[in-house]
Amino acid sequence: MAVSRLGYAHVRVTDMAEAKDHYANTMGLYETHAEGNKTYYKAWDEWDHHSVVLEEGGVGLVKFGWKVDYSSDIDEIEKRATAFGVTVERMSKGENAEIGDGIRFTTPSDHVFEVYHEATCIGTEVGTHNPDAFPRHLVGVGVPALDHSLITAEDPGLMDRFLTAVFDFFPTERVQTSLDDDADIIATWMTSGNQIHQLAVLAGPQGKLHHFAFRLGDWVEVGRAADLFSMDDVPIDIGPTRHGITRGQTVYFFDPSGNRNEVFAGGYLAFRDRPMNVWTPDALGKGVFYHARELNDAFTSVLT
Amino acid sequence: MPTVTIHPTGEVIHLETGETVLSGLYRAGYSYTVGCRRGGCAICKVDCLAGEFAYDHPIADTVLSEDERTDGTCLSCRAVPTTDVTIELRGEDVRLVNPFLRQINEKARLRAQALAASPAGAVPKE
Repeated sequence: MAVSRLGYAHVRVTDMAEAKDHYANTMGLYETHAEGNKTYYKAWDEWDHHSVVLEEGGVGLVKFGWKVDYSSDIDEIEKRATAFGVTVERMSKGENAEIGDGIRFTTPSDHVFEVYHEATCIGTEVGTHNPDAFPRHLVGVGVPALDHSLITAEDPGLMDRFLTAVFDFFPTERVQTSLDDDADIIATWMTSGNQIHQLAVLAGPQGKLHHFAFRLGDWVEVGRAADLFSMDDVPIDIGPTRHGITRGQTVYFFDPSGNRNEVFAGGYLAFRDRPMNVWTPDALGKGVFYHARELNDAFTSVLT
Repeated sequence: MPTVTIHPTGEVIHLETGETVLSGLYRAGYSYTVGCRRGGCAICKVDCLAGEFAYDHPIADTVLSEDERTDGTCLSCRAVPTTDVTIELRGEDVRLVNPFLRQINEKARLRAQALAASPAGAVPKE
């Protein structure tokens, strides 16, 4: 049983024209489909039909789609979620454009998750036959892929247990009130494989989005992305800097509706048997922003 | 061209036509607590004590409640004053981070004031 990855982030935007300009021209995503008040995008090194869905009206998260390795994983996750006490409904092929049958449930954190195995394969922009290293005519930042997300929940510890029990995720890093066994979990970074985190959960209001992130290769690409954000008047929240937690290199910034985005590079390899890193609140500033070593007031308060 | 008066310090800031409160304050050299600057996070709300404004984008219901649309709450990053307005920040004062911009804004405000006071059609003297 394995969750492969965060397959799609479906978010609300207040103004589709401005949002399209940001995600297509600044981020460099490829529009693959549009219907009604929704626009679908993929990044250049992704092969499935879409990884970002924009829906006009409001701000914040509509839902996440999680792609699993085998169709039988859907049944297994349904069984595990039900056992955890969550109500699971079946979704049919076509309820999401170009996405197959699956399940849908609301997590203990009040976020909507969908789990699916089939998506229409479009292919990467470099193909698979003697492929080049990257497409020659990338637009803007030219992100290769969606990477991870951070959400907020009143009880991150409950979400840690939920993601462990239902998705077979494991925590790579945590922020805890202390090193004691009965410490409360303030935040947790979780994954199913070598990717340092696929979903992180921070203490905060239920059902809110902190950010969703796109992958980049290294410091140079992160710095270049920040330059492009200045050129395009994209509000930067913080960065370029490093996260102490995950060791990733980062820029936090906002889309034209105020949803926080991130470009994220690096991060060490996660392994199920690697001892988990634990951070305590006295070092949280360094954990989140490794150079400033203090939180900005937006980190815990600015959510959509 | 409207002005923004900041209560209780009485600072008066000159806005360009169509400019948001947030943009005007930053262009006049001031800083205060803001988040996304794009209408999504609700952190930059201030109170509008006098005057009228309109929002230049649709504002999500999760950002402004029904009550907040009529009780003087002003989401400063999206609020464009249609008259002179008086605002009060919530639990903080503006911080002057660029005094050079403040001087330029003050001159622009005095120029606009003189123009408004001059007889119709008169060319303002430099």
